[in-house]
Amino acid sequence: MKVRHPTRDRWISLAVLAALALGWQVLSLVYTAEAQPGEPMVAGWQVLFTRTLLSLSDYWPGGLGVPAVADGAERSYLAALLAILLHSADTILRLAAGLMLGGVAGLVLGLALSWSRWTRRLVDWPLQFIRTLPLLAMVPLFQLWFGTDALGEVVFVAYGIGVIVFAGTVNAVRNIPQIYLDNARALGASRLFLTRTVVLPAIVPAMRSTVLLSLGAGWGAVLGAEYLGAQSGLGYMIVYAQQFAFLDRMFLVALLFVFYTSVSTVVLARLTGRMLAWAPEGQRA
Amino acid sequence: MTPVADSLRPGRAPDRLGSRTRALARAVDPLRLAGVAIGVAVWQGLTMLLPPIILPTPAGVAGRLRDDFWSAPALSYYGLTEPNLYGNLLYTAQNVLVAVLAGASIGIASGLLSARFPLVQAGLDPVVMTAGTVPILIAAPFLLIWFGVGRTSAVCLVVFYVAVTLHIFAARAARNVDPIFEQSARTLGAGSRRVLRDVLLPATVPEILGGLRIALAGAWGLEAVAELLGSQSGMGKVIEVLAGATDPQGIMAALLSLGSTAVLADLLAALAVARLTRWSAAAR
Repeated sequence: MKVRHPTRDRWISLAVLAALALGWQVLSLVYTAEAQPGEPMVAGWQVLFTRTLLSLSDYWPGGLGVPAVADGAERSYLAALLAILLHSADTILRLAAGLMLGGVAGLVLGLALSWSRWTRRLVDWPLQFIRTLPLLAMVPLFQLWFGTDALGEVVFVAYGIGVIVFAGTVNAVRNIPQIYLDNARALGASRLFLTRTVVLPAIVPAMRSTVLLSLGAGWGAVLGAEYLGAQSGLGYMIVYAQQFAFLDRMFLVALLFVFYTSVSTVVLARLTGRMLAWAPEGQRA
Repeated sequence: MTPVADSLRPGRAPDRLGSRTRALARAVDPLRLAGVAIGVAVWQGLTMLLPPIILPTPAGVAGRLRDDFWSAPALSYYGLTEPNLYGNLLYTAQNVLVAVLAGASIGIASGLLSARFPLVQAGLDPVVMTAGTVPILIAAPFLLIWFGVGRTSAVCLVVFYVAVTLHIFAARAARNVDPIFEQSARTLGAGSRRVLRDVLLPATVPEILGGLRIALAGAWGLEAVAELLGSQSGMGKVIEVLAGATDPQGIMAALLSLGSTAVLADLLAALAVARLTRWSAAAR
Protein backbone atom coordinates (compact mmCIF):
# COMPACT_ATOMS: atom_id res chain seq x y z
CA MET A 1 0.00 0.00 0.00
CA LYS A 2 1.13 3.53 -0.65
CA VAL A 3 2.18 5.51 2.38
CA ARG A 4 0.14 8.67 2.89
CA HIS A 5 1.66 11.84 4.25
CA PRO A 6 -1.27 13.95 5.48
CA THR A 7 0.83 16.85 6.78
CA ARG A 8 3.04 17.00 3.72
CA ASP A 9 0.01 16.77 1.41
CA ARG A 10 -1.70 19.61 3.26
CA TRP A 11 1.37 21.78 2.78
CA ILE A 12 1.45 20.94 -0.91
CA SER A 13 -2.24 21.83 -1.23
CA LEU A 14 -1.64 25.17 0.47
CA ALA A 15 1.37 25.78 -1.73
CA VAL A 16 -0.69 25.10 -4.83
CA LEU A 17 -3.36 27.58 -3.76
CA ALA A 18 -0.68 30.16 -2.96
CA ALA A 19 0.95 29.49 -6.32
CA LEU A 20 -2.39 30.04 -8.08
CA ALA A 21 -2.88 33.35 -6.27
CA LEU A 22 0.68 34.37 -7.10
CA GLY A 23 0.30 33.22 -10.71
CA TRP A 24 -2.78 35.44 -10.99
CA GLN A 25 -0.73 38.38 -9.75
CA VAL A 26 2.09 37.66 -12.19
CA LEU A 27 -0.44 37.32 -15.01
CA SER A 28 -1.91 40.70 -14.11
CA LEU A 29 1.56 42.26 -14.43
CA VAL A 30 2.49 40.48 -17.66
CA TYR A 31 -0.87 40.53 -19.44
CA THR A 32 -1.97 44.14 -19.24
CA ALA A 33 -4.71 44.04 -21.90
CA GLU A 34 -7.86 45.90 -20.96
CA ALA A 35 -11.45 44.77 -21.47
CA GLN A 36 -12.26 48.46 -21.80
CA PRO A 37 -10.22 51.58 -20.96
CA GLY A 38 -9.27 51.45 -17.29
CA GLU A 39 -10.62 47.90 -16.86
CA PRO A 40 -7.81 45.32 -16.90
CA MET A 41 -8.66 41.83 -18.20
CA VAL A 42 -6.72 40.42 -15.28
CA ALA A 43 -6.87 42.57 -12.17
CA GLY A 44 -4.11 42.10 -9.61
CA TRP A 45 -4.91 41.60 -5.94
CA GLN A 46 -3.90 45.16 -5.05
CA VAL A 47 -6.58 46.41 -7.47
CA LEU A 48 -9.19 43.85 -6.42
CA PHE A 49 -9.10 44.72 -2.75
CA THR A 50 -8.96 48.49 -3.17
CA ARG A 51 -10.56 49.96 -6.27
CA THR A 52 -12.73 46.97 -7.15
CA LEU A 53 -13.98 46.49 -3.62
CA LEU A 54 -14.73 50.20 -3.44
CA SER A 55 -16.64 50.08 -6.71
CA LEU A 56 -19.01 47.49 -5.26
CA SER A 57 -20.57 50.33 -3.25
CA ASP A 58 -22.40 51.19 -6.51
CA TYR A 59 -24.66 48.25 -5.66
CA TRP A 60 -25.79 49.70 -2.33
CA PRO A 61 -29.31 51.13 -2.71
CA GLY A 62 -28.93 53.44 0.30
CA GLY A 63 -30.23 53.30 3.85
CA LEU A 64 -28.85 52.66 7.35
CA GLY A 65 -27.35 56.15 7.29
CA VAL A 66 -25.10 55.20 4.36
CA PRO A 67 -26.22 57.06 1.23
CA ALA A 68 -26.22 55.38 -2.18
CA VAL A 69 -23.66 56.24 -4.85
CA ALA A 70 -26.57 56.70 -7.25
CA ASP A 71 -27.74 59.61 -5.05
CA GLY A 72 -24.41 61.36 -5.48
CA ALA A 73 -22.54 60.01 -2.46
CA GLU A 74 -18.84 59.15 -2.55
CA ARG A 75 -17.87 55.47 -2.85
CA SER A 76 -16.95 54.04 0.53
CA TYR A 77 -15.81 50.72 1.92
CA LEU A 78 -18.76 50.73 4.32
CA ALA A 79 -21.24 50.99 1.45
CA ALA A 80 -19.34 48.27 -0.43
CA LEU A 81 -19.50 45.98 2.59
CA LEU A 82 -23.21 46.66 3.03
CA ALA A 83 -23.81 45.97 -0.67
CA ILE A 84 -21.98 42.66 -0.39
CA LEU A 85 -23.96 41.71 2.73
CA LEU A 86 -27.27 42.71 1.14
CA HIS A 87 -26.77 40.74 -2.05
CA SER A 88 -25.24 37.75 -0.25
CA ALA A 89 -28.25 37.70 2.08
CA ASP A 90 -30.59 37.74 -0.92
CA THR A 91 -28.84 34.78 -2.54
CA ILE A 92 -28.52 32.81 0.68
CA LEU A 93 -32.13 33.43 1.71
CA ARG A 94 -33.35 32.26 -1.70
CA LEU A 95 -31.21 29.16 -1.38
CA ALA A 96 -32.34 28.46 2.19
CA ALA A 97 -36.02 28.96 1.39
CA GLY A 98 -35.71 26.77 -1.71
CA LEU A 99 -33.86 24.06 0.21
CA MET A 100 -36.50 24.06 2.96
CA LEU A 101 -39.49 24.02 0.63
CA GLY A 102 -38.01 21.55 -1.83
CA GLY A 103 -36.56 19.33 0.86
CA VAL A 104 -39.79 19.02 2.82
CA ALA A 105 -41.96 18.63 -0.28
CA GLY A 106 -39.63 16.04 -1.79
CA LEU A 107 -39.38 14.06 1.44
CA VAL A 108 -43.12 14.04 2.13
CA LEU A 109 -44.02 13.16 -1.47
CA GLY A 110 -41.29 10.54 -1.59
CA LEU A 111 -42.48 8.89 1.62
CA ALA A 112 -46.11 9.04 0.54
CA LEU A 113 -45.42 7.45 -2.82
CA SER A 114 -43.16 4.80 -1.32
CA TRP A 115 -46.23 3.65 0.58
CA SER A 116 -46.40 0.42 -1.37
CA ARG A 117 -44.73 -1.26 -4.29
CA TRP A 118 -47.74 -0.28 -6.39
CA THR A 119 -47.44 3.45 -5.88
CA ARG A 120 -43.69 3.20 -6.41
CA ARG A 121 -44.25 1.64 -9.81
CA LEU A 122 -46.91 4.22 -10.64
CA VAL A 123 -44.57 7.18 -10.14
CA ASP A 124 -41.47 5.55 -11.59
CA TRP A 125 -41.79 6.65 -15.22
CA PRO A 126 -43.21 10.14 -14.68
CA LEU A 127 -40.42 10.75 -12.18
CA GLN A 128 -37.75 9.52 -14.56
CA PHE A 129 -39.22 11.73 -17.26
CA ILE A 130 -39.13 14.83 -15.04
CA ARG A 131 -35.54 14.09 -14.08
CA THR A 132 -34.45 14.03 -17.72
CA LEU A 133 -35.55 17.63 -18.32
CA PRO A 134 -32.37 19.73 -18.02
CA LEU A 135 -32.97 21.74 -14.85
CA LEU A 136 -30.99 24.87 -15.71
CA ALA A 137 -32.71 25.21 -19.08
CA MET A 138 -36.04 25.52 -17.24
CA VAL A 139 -35.22 28.86 -15.60
CA PRO A 140 -37.13 30.91 -18.24
CA LEU A 141 -40.22 28.76 -17.77
CA PHE A 142 -40.24 29.38 -14.02
CA GLN A 143 -39.67 33.07 -14.58
CA LEU A 144 -42.70 33.15 -16.86
CA TRP A 145 -44.74 31.38 -14.22
CA PHE A 146 -43.58 33.03 -11.03
CA GLY A 147 -41.82 36.23 -12.11
CA THR A 148 -38.19 37.31 -11.86
CA ASP A 149 -38.34 38.45 -8.23
CA ALA A 150 -37.73 36.37 -5.13
CA LEU A 151 -40.72 34.04 -5.62
CA GLY A 152 -39.62 32.83 -9.05
CA GLU A 153 -36.12 32.01 -7.84
CA VAL A 154 -37.28 30.30 -4.64
CA VAL A 155 -39.80 28.12 -6.49
CA PHE A 156 -37.19 27.22 -9.09
CA VAL A 157 -34.62 26.21 -6.46
CA ALA A 158 -37.32 24.33 -4.56
CA TYR A 159 -38.28 22.45 -7.72
CA GLY A 160 -34.69 21.47 -8.45
CA ILE A 161 -34.10 20.33 -4.87
CA GLY A 162 -37.51 18.68 -4.63
CA VAL A 163 -36.83 16.41 -7.62
CA ILE A 164 -33.49 15.31 -6.16
CA VAL A 165 -34.82 14.72 -2.64
CA PHE A 166 -37.89 12.94 -3.97
CA ALA A 167 -35.81 10.56 -6.07
CA GLY A 168 -33.36 10.06 -3.19
CA THR A 169 -36.17 9.27 -0.75
CA VAL A 170 -37.86 6.75 -3.05
CA ASN A 171 -34.49 5.11 -3.64
CA ALA A 172 -33.59 5.03 0.05
CA VAL A 173 -36.94 3.53 1.05
CA ARG A 174 -36.56 0.86 -1.62
CA ASN A 175 -33.18 -0.10 -0.15
CA ILE A 176 -34.43 -0.63 3.40
CA PRO A 177 -33.85 -4.31 4.27
CA GLN A 178 -37.21 -6.01 3.94
CA ILE A 179 -36.65 -7.80 7.27
CA TYR A 180 -36.96 -4.50 9.19
CA LEU A 181 -40.38 -3.89 7.75
CA ASP A 182 -41.50 -7.52 8.08
CA ASN A 183 -40.47 -7.69 11.72
CA ALA A 184 -42.31 -4.50 12.62
CA ARG A 185 -45.37 -5.61 10.66
CA ALA A 186 -45.32 -9.01 12.35
CA LEU A 187 -45.31 -7.29 15.73
CA GLY A 188 -48.45 -5.43 14.66
CA ALA A 189 -47.18 -2.00 13.56
CA SER A 190 -49.59 0.04 11.46
CA ARG A 191 -48.46 1.61 8.18
CA LEU A 192 -48.17 5.10 9.70
CA PHE A 193 -46.38 3.83 12.79
CA LEU A 194 -44.02 1.86 10.53
CA THR A 195 -43.19 4.97 8.50
CA ARG A 196 -42.51 7.01 11.61
CA THR A 197 -40.48 4.53 13.63
CA VAL A 198 -38.82 2.28 11.06
CA VAL A 199 -38.76 3.84 7.59
CA LEU A 200 -37.80 7.37 8.61
CA PRO A 201 -34.80 6.43 10.81
CA ALA A 202 -33.69 3.73 8.38
CA ILE A 203 -33.34 6.09 5.42
CA VAL A 204 -31.36 8.76 7.32
CA PRO A 205 -27.88 7.36 6.55
CA ALA A 206 -28.68 6.99 2.86
CA MET A 207 -30.13 10.51 2.74
CA ARG A 208 -26.82 12.12 3.61
CA SER A 209 -25.50 11.98 0.05
CA THR A 210 -28.86 13.27 -1.20
CA VAL A 211 -28.64 16.25 1.15
CA LEU A 212 -25.08 17.07 0.06
CA LEU A 213 -26.03 16.64 -3.58
CA SER A 214 -29.02 18.94 -3.21
CA LEU A 215 -26.92 21.65 -1.59
CA GLY A 216 -24.62 21.66 -4.63
CA ALA A 217 -27.56 21.59 -7.02
CA GLY A 218 -29.22 24.36 -5.00
CA TRP A 219 -26.22 26.68 -5.33
CA GLY A 220 -26.17 25.96 -9.07
CA ALA A 221 -29.91 26.57 -9.39
CA VAL A 222 -29.87 29.85 -7.47
CA LEU A 223 -26.90 31.04 -9.54
CA GLY A 224 -28.62 30.07 -12.80
CA ALA A 225 -31.81 31.84 -11.77
CA GLU A 226 -29.89 34.97 -10.80
CA TYR A 227 -27.86 34.95 -14.01
CA LEU A 228 -31.06 34.89 -16.04
CA GLY A 229 -33.05 37.84 -14.85
CA ALA A 230 -33.03 38.34 -11.07
CA GLN A 231 -32.73 41.91 -9.84
CA SER A 232 -30.50 41.21 -6.84
CA GLY A 233 -28.10 38.63 -5.46
CA LEU A 234 -24.52 37.62 -6.20
CA GLY A 235 -25.39 36.14 -9.61
CA TYR A 236 -27.11 39.39 -10.56
CA MET A 237 -24.00 41.34 -9.52
CA ILE A 238 -21.86 39.18 -11.80
CA VAL A 239 -24.00 39.42 -14.95
CA TYR A 240 -24.67 43.11 -14.36
CA ALA A 241 -20.91 43.69 -14.21
CA GLN A 242 -20.50 41.48 -17.29
CA GLN A 243 -22.70 43.79 -19.36
CA PHE A 244 -20.17 46.57 -18.78
CA ALA A 245 -17.17 44.21 -18.98
CA PHE A 246 -16.15 44.98 -15.38
CA LEU A 247 -14.05 41.82 -15.14
CA ASP A 248 -12.51 42.77 -11.80
CA ARG A 249 -15.91 43.10 -10.12
CA MET A 250 -17.06 39.80 -11.61
CA PHE A 251 -13.94 38.14 -10.29
CA LEU A 252 -14.33 39.50 -6.77
CA VAL A 253 -17.99 38.51 -6.50
CA ALA A 254 -17.23 35.08 -8.00
CA LEU A 255 -14.52 34.57 -5.35
CA LEU A 256 -17.09 35.42 -2.69
CA PHE A 257 -19.48 32.88 -4.21
CA VAL A 258 -16.77 30.21 -4.27
CA PHE A 259 -16.10 30.95 -0.62
CA TYR A 260 -19.77 30.56 0.37
CA THR A 261 -20.28 27.31 -1.54
CA SER A 262 -17.06 25.73 -0.25
CA VAL A 263 -17.72 26.68 3.37
CA SER A 264 -21.36 25.60 3.29
CA THR A 265 -20.46 22.25 1.73
CA VAL A 266 -17.72 21.54 4.26
CA VAL A 267 -19.94 22.59 7.19
CA LEU A 268 -22.85 20.46 5.99
CA ALA A 269 -20.60 17.45 5.34
CA ARG A 270 -19.10 17.70 8.84
CA LEU A 271 -22.47 18.27 10.48
CA THR A 272 -24.23 15.38 8.76
CA GLY A 273 -21.20 13.17 9.37
CA ARG A 274 -21.43 13.91 13.09
CA MET A 275 -25.17 13.37 13.16
CA LEU A 276 -24.66 9.94 11.64
CA ALA A 277 -22.10 8.80 14.20
CA TRP A 278 -24.62 6.21 15.39
CA ALA A 279 -25.00 4.54 12.00
CA PRO A 280 -22.87 1.48 11.19
CA GLU A 281 -19.82 2.42 9.11
CA GLY A 282 -21.01 0.62 5.98
CA GLN A 283 -24.40 2.34 5.92
CA ARG A 284 -23.08 5.89 5.85
CA ALA A 285 -23.21 7.11 2.32
CA MET B 1 -37.32 -19.48 -13.00
CA THR B 2 -34.27 -17.55 -11.89
CA PRO B 3 -31.91 -16.15 -14.53
CA VAL B 4 -29.10 -18.47 -13.39
CA ALA B 5 -31.19 -21.56 -13.79
CA ASP B 6 -32.39 -20.21 -17.11
CA SER B 7 -28.87 -19.93 -18.45
CA LEU B 8 -27.97 -23.41 -17.23
CA ARG B 9 -30.86 -25.01 -19.04
CA PRO B 10 -29.77 -26.89 -22.15
CA GLY B 11 -31.03 -25.62 -25.48
CA ARG B 12 -31.18 -22.01 -24.33
CA ALA B 13 -29.96 -20.55 -27.59
CA PRO B 14 -33.08 -21.15 -29.70
CA ASP B 15 -35.16 -19.61 -26.90
CA ARG B 16 -33.23 -16.36 -26.98
CA LEU B 17 -35.66 -14.33 -28.99
CA GLY B 18 -38.48 -15.53 -26.81
CA SER B 19 -36.75 -14.51 -23.61
CA ARG B 20 -35.98 -11.12 -25.11
CA THR B 21 -39.61 -10.51 -25.98
CA ARG B 22 -40.54 -11.59 -22.50
CA ALA B 23 -37.98 -9.22 -21.02
CA LEU B 24 -39.44 -6.41 -23.11
CA ALA B 25 -42.95 -7.27 -21.95
CA ARG B 26 -41.72 -7.21 -18.36
CA ALA B 27 -40.08 -3.84 -18.94
CA VAL B 28 -43.34 -2.34 -20.17
CA ASP B 29 -45.06 -2.51 -16.83
CA PRO B 30 -48.79 -1.67 -17.14
CA LEU B 31 -48.67 0.07 -13.77
CA ARG B 32 -45.83 2.32 -14.93
CA LEU B 33 -47.76 3.10 -18.11
CA ALA B 34 -50.75 3.94 -15.94
CA GLY B 35 -48.49 6.30 -14.00
CA VAL B 36 -47.63 8.14 -17.20
CA ALA B 37 -51.33 8.31 -18.11
CA ILE B 38 -52.15 9.75 -14.67
CA GLY B 39 -49.35 12.29 -15.05
CA VAL B 40 -50.70 13.47 -18.41
CA ALA B 41 -54.25 13.51 -17.01
CA VAL B 42 -53.18 15.69 -14.07
CA TRP B 43 -51.43 18.05 -16.49
CA GLN B 44 -54.59 18.17 -18.63
CA GLY B 45 -56.68 18.81 -15.53
CA LEU B 46 -54.45 21.69 -14.47
CA THR B 47 -54.79 23.35 -17.88
CA MET B 48 -58.53 23.67 -17.22
CA LEU B 49 -57.78 25.71 -14.10
CA LEU B 50 -54.96 27.84 -15.49
CA PRO B 51 -54.93 30.12 -18.54
CA PRO B 52 -53.11 28.70 -21.59
CA ILE B 53 -50.53 31.51 -21.41
CA ILE B 54 -49.37 29.91 -18.14
CA LEU B 55 -49.87 26.22 -18.81
CA PRO B 56 -50.44 24.90 -22.34
CA THR B 57 -52.23 21.60 -22.88
CA PRO B 58 -50.24 18.37 -23.40
CA ALA B 59 -51.76 17.98 -26.87
CA GLY B 60 -50.81 21.55 -27.71
CA VAL B 61 -47.20 20.98 -26.68
CA ALA B 62 -47.01 17.72 -28.61
CA GLY B 63 -48.45 19.39 -31.71
CA ARG B 64 -46.06 22.29 -31.34
CA LEU B 65 -43.13 19.89 -31.07
CA ARG B 66 -44.24 18.16 -34.26
CA ASP B 67 -44.64 21.45 -36.16
CA ASP B 68 -41.52 23.20 -34.88
CA PHE B 69 -39.20 20.26 -35.24
CA TRP B 70 -38.58 20.67 -38.95
CA SER B 71 -39.75 24.21 -39.50
CA ALA B 72 -40.51 27.09 -37.13
CA PRO B 73 -40.45 30.20 -39.33
CA ALA B 74 -41.17 32.44 -36.32
CA LEU B 75 -37.71 31.71 -34.97
CA SER B 76 -36.01 33.29 -37.98
CA TYR B 77 -37.50 36.69 -37.06
CA TYR B 78 -35.42 36.61 -33.89
CA GLY B 79 -32.16 36.18 -35.76
CA LEU B 80 -31.73 32.44 -35.40
CA THR B 81 -29.87 31.00 -38.35
CA GLU B 82 -31.76 27.71 -38.12
CA PRO B 83 -35.50 28.36 -37.93
CA ASN B 84 -36.36 24.90 -36.57
CA LEU B 85 -35.74 22.76 -33.52
CA TYR B 86 -33.83 20.11 -35.45
CA GLY B 87 -30.95 22.38 -36.49
CA ASN B 88 -30.56 23.90 -33.05
CA LEU B 89 -30.78 20.52 -31.40
CA LEU B 90 -28.00 19.35 -33.68
CA TYR B 91 -25.87 22.38 -32.74
CA THR B 92 -26.36 21.73 -29.03
CA ALA B 93 -25.74 18.01 -29.41
CA GLN B 94 -22.50 18.62 -31.34
CA ASN B 95 -21.25 20.94 -28.64
CA VAL B 96 -22.14 18.49 -25.90
CA LEU B 97 -20.48 15.62 -27.75
CA VAL B 98 -17.25 17.52 -28.41
CA ALA B 99 -17.16 18.83 -24.85
CA VAL B 100 -17.81 15.43 -23.29
CA LEU B 101 -15.09 13.78 -25.38
CA ALA B 102 -12.53 16.50 -24.66
CA GLY B 103 -13.46 16.84 -20.99
CA ALA B 104 -13.45 13.08 -20.46
CA SER B 105 -9.96 12.68 -21.93
CA ILE B 106 -8.60 15.40 -19.66
CA GLY B 107 -10.47 14.26 -16.56
CA ILE B 108 -9.69 10.55 -16.91
CA ALA B 109 -5.99 11.20 -17.50
CA SER B 110 -5.64 13.58 -14.56
CA GLY B 111 -7.76 11.37 -12.30
CA LEU B 112 -5.71 8.25 -12.99
CA LEU B 113 -2.46 10.17 -12.59
CA SER B 114 -3.50 11.65 -9.27
CA ALA B 115 -4.55 8.24 -7.97
CA ARG B 116 -1.13 6.85 -8.95
CA PHE B 117 1.13 9.65 -7.75
CA PRO B 118 0.43 11.17 -4.31
CA LEU B 119 2.30 14.32 -5.30
CA VAL B 120 0.03 14.94 -8.27
CA GLN B 121 -2.94 14.26 -6.04
CA ALA B 122 -1.81 16.71 -3.39
CA GLY B 123 -1.35 19.34 -6.07
CA LEU B 124 -4.61 18.77 -7.95
CA ASP B 125 -6.93 17.96 -5.04
CA PRO B 126 -7.53 21.50 -3.75
CA VAL B 127 -8.33 22.71 -7.26
CA VAL B 128 -10.57 19.78 -8.16
CA MET B 129 -12.34 19.74 -4.80
CA THR B 130 -13.16 23.43 -5.12
CA ALA B 131 -14.28 23.00 -8.72
CA GLY B 132 -16.34 20.00 -7.62
CA THR B 133 -18.30 21.90 -4.98
CA VAL B 134 -18.72 25.25 -6.72
CA PRO B 135 -21.28 25.29 -9.55
CA ILE B 136 -19.24 25.38 -12.78
CA LEU B 137 -21.88 27.79 -14.10
CA ILE B 138 -20.04 30.55 -12.20
CA ALA B 139 -17.45 30.59 -15.00
CA ALA B 140 -19.96 31.26 -17.79
CA PRO B 141 -19.86 35.11 -17.78
CA PHE B 142 -16.04 35.06 -17.72
CA LEU B 143 -15.87 32.69 -20.67
CA LEU B 144 -18.29 34.94 -22.54
CA ILE B 145 -15.93 37.89 -22.13
CA TRP B 146 -12.76 35.91 -22.85
CA PHE B 147 -14.02 33.94 -25.85
CA GLY B 148 -16.95 36.05 -26.98
CA VAL B 149 -20.48 34.94 -27.82
CA GLY B 150 -20.27 31.65 -29.66
CA ARG B 151 -19.49 28.01 -29.60
CA THR B 152 -16.17 28.25 -27.76
CA SER B 153 -17.41 29.66 -24.47
CA ALA B 154 -20.25 27.16 -24.15
CA VAL B 155 -18.02 24.22 -25.05
CA CYS B 156 -15.32 25.39 -22.60
CA LEU B 157 -17.85 25.51 -19.78
CA VAL B 158 -19.03 21.95 -20.44
CA VAL B 159 -15.45 20.67 -20.95
CA PHE B 160 -14.58 22.06 -17.54
CA TYR B 161 -17.57 20.40 -15.89
CA VAL B 162 -17.02 17.02 -17.55
CA ALA B 163 -13.28 17.07 -16.76
CA VAL B 164 -13.89 17.75 -13.05
CA THR B 165 -16.59 15.08 -12.80
CA LEU B 166 -14.51 12.45 -14.53
CA HIS B 167 -11.37 13.32 -12.60
CA ILE B 168 -13.25 12.52 -9.41
CA PHE B 169 -14.69 9.28 -10.80
CA ALA B 170 -11.41 8.10 -12.34
CA ALA B 171 -9.40 8.84 -9.20
CA ARG B 172 -11.91 6.97 -7.05
CA ALA B 173 -12.03 4.05 -9.47
CA ALA B 174 -8.25 3.74 -9.51
CA ARG B 175 -8.12 3.86 -5.73
CA ASN B 176 -10.80 1.17 -5.48
CA VAL B 177 -8.81 -1.32 -7.55
CA ASP B 178 -7.84 -4.17 -5.26
CA PRO B 179 -4.02 -3.96 -4.86
CA ILE B 180 -3.84 -7.75 -5.18
CA PHE B 181 -4.45 -7.46 -8.93
CA GLU B 182 -1.42 -5.27 -9.42
CA GLN B 183 0.70 -7.35 -7.04
CA SER B 184 -0.19 -10.55 -8.89
CA ALA B 185 0.66 -9.00 -12.23
CA ARG B 186 3.96 -7.72 -10.86
CA THR B 187 4.79 -11.11 -9.42
CA LEU B 188 4.20 -12.58 -12.84
CA GLY B 189 6.73 -10.09 -14.20
CA ALA B 190 4.62 -7.27 -15.64
CA GLY B 191 6.30 -3.88 -15.96
CA SER B 192 4.68 -0.53 -15.14
CA ARG B 193 3.39 -0.07 -18.65
CA ARG B 194 1.79 -3.50 -18.80
CA VAL B 195 0.27 -3.01 -15.35
CA LEU B 196 -1.29 0.22 -16.59
CA ARG B 197 -2.56 -1.33 -19.82
CA ASP B 198 -3.67 -4.75 -18.64
CA VAL B 199 -4.66 -4.17 -15.02
CA LEU B 200 -5.37 -0.56 -14.08
CA LEU B 201 -7.18 0.63 -17.20
CA PRO B 202 -9.52 -2.37 -17.54
CA ALA B 203 -10.23 -2.45 -13.81
CA THR B 204 -11.28 1.19 -13.74
CA VAL B 205 -13.34 1.16 -16.95
CA PRO B 206 -16.73 0.22 -15.43
CA GLU B 207 -16.68 2.96 -12.80
CA ILE B 208 -15.30 5.58 -15.19
CA LEU B 209 -17.99 4.81 -17.74
CA GLY B 210 -20.61 5.21 -15.02
CA GLY B 211 -19.16 8.65 -14.33
CA LEU B 212 -19.26 9.43 -18.03
CA ARG B 213 -23.00 8.83 -18.10
CA ILE B 214 -23.51 11.11 -15.11
CA ALA B 215 -21.39 13.83 -16.70
CA LEU B 216 -23.28 13.44 -19.98
CA ALA B 217 -26.63 13.85 -18.20
CA GLY B 218 -25.49 17.07 -16.54
CA ALA B 219 -23.85 18.43 -19.69
CA TRP B 220 -27.15 19.13 -21.48
CA GLY B 221 -28.45 21.60 -18.91
CA LEU B 222 -25.12 23.36 -18.63
CA GLU B 223 -24.77 23.67 -22.41
CA ALA B 224 -28.33 25.00 -22.65
CA VAL B 225 -27.80 27.62 -19.94
CA ALA B 226 -24.51 28.67 -21.54
CA GLU B 227 -26.43 29.23 -24.77
CA LEU B 228 -29.12 31.10 -22.85
CA LEU B 229 -26.49 33.50 -21.51
CA GLY B 230 -24.98 34.25 -24.88
CA SER B 231 -25.20 32.41 -28.19
CA GLN B 232 -26.60 32.76 -31.69
CA SER B 233 -27.98 29.25 -32.02
CA GLY B 234 -28.69 26.14 -30.01
CA MET B 235 -31.61 25.07 -27.85
CA GLY B 236 -30.70 27.56 -25.12
CA LYS B 237 -31.04 30.41 -27.63
CA VAL B 238 -34.37 29.00 -28.79
CA ILE B 239 -35.64 28.91 -25.21
CA GLU B 240 -34.39 32.44 -24.61
CA VAL B 241 -36.16 33.73 -27.71
CA LEU B 242 -39.39 31.94 -26.83
CA ALA B 243 -39.22 33.24 -23.24
CA GLY B 244 -38.90 36.75 -24.63
CA ALA B 245 -42.04 36.11 -26.68
CA THR B 246 -43.90 34.72 -23.60
CA ASP B 247 -44.52 31.43 -25.33
CA PRO B 248 -44.62 28.64 -22.70
CA GLN B 249 -45.97 26.19 -25.26
CA GLY B 250 -42.90 26.67 -27.41
CA ILE B 251 -40.56 26.52 -24.38
CA MET B 252 -42.11 23.26 -23.25
CA ALA B 253 -41.83 21.79 -26.73
CA ALA B 254 -38.16 22.85 -26.83
CA LEU B 255 -37.51 21.41 -23.36
CA LEU B 256 -39.27 18.20 -24.35
CA SER B 257 -37.11 17.78 -27.44
CA LEU B 258 -33.95 18.58 -25.46
CA GLY B 259 -34.93 16.11 -22.71
CA SER B 260 -35.73 13.40 -25.26
CA THR B 261 -32.36 13.93 -26.92
CA ALA B 262 -30.67 13.63 -23.54
CA VAL B 263 -32.55 10.38 -22.86
CA LEU B 264 -31.61 9.04 -26.27
CA ALA B 265 -27.95 9.91 -25.73
CA ASP B 266 -28.05 8.27 -22.31
CA LEU B 267 -29.63 5.12 -23.76
CA LEU B 268 -26.92 4.92 -26.43
CA ALA B 269 -24.26 5.47 -23.77
CA ALA B 270 -25.81 2.80 -21.57
CA LEU B 271 -25.82 0.33 -24.46
CA ALA B 272 -22.19 1.11 -25.24
CA VAL B 273 -21.23 0.78 -21.57
CA ALA B 274 -23.05 -2.55 -21.26
CA ARG B 275 -21.19 -3.81 -24.31
CA LEU B 276 -17.79 -2.58 -23.17
CA THR B 277 -18.12 -4.02 -19.68
CA ARG B 278 -19.80 -7.34 -20.47
CA TRP B 279 -16.88 -9.12 -18.82
CA SER B 280 -17.12 -7.20 -15.57
CA ALA B 281 -18.99 -8.41 -12.52
CA ALA B 282 -18.85 -4.90 -11.04
CA ALA B 283 -20.91 -3.43 -13.86
CA ARG B 284 -23.89 -5.64 -13.07
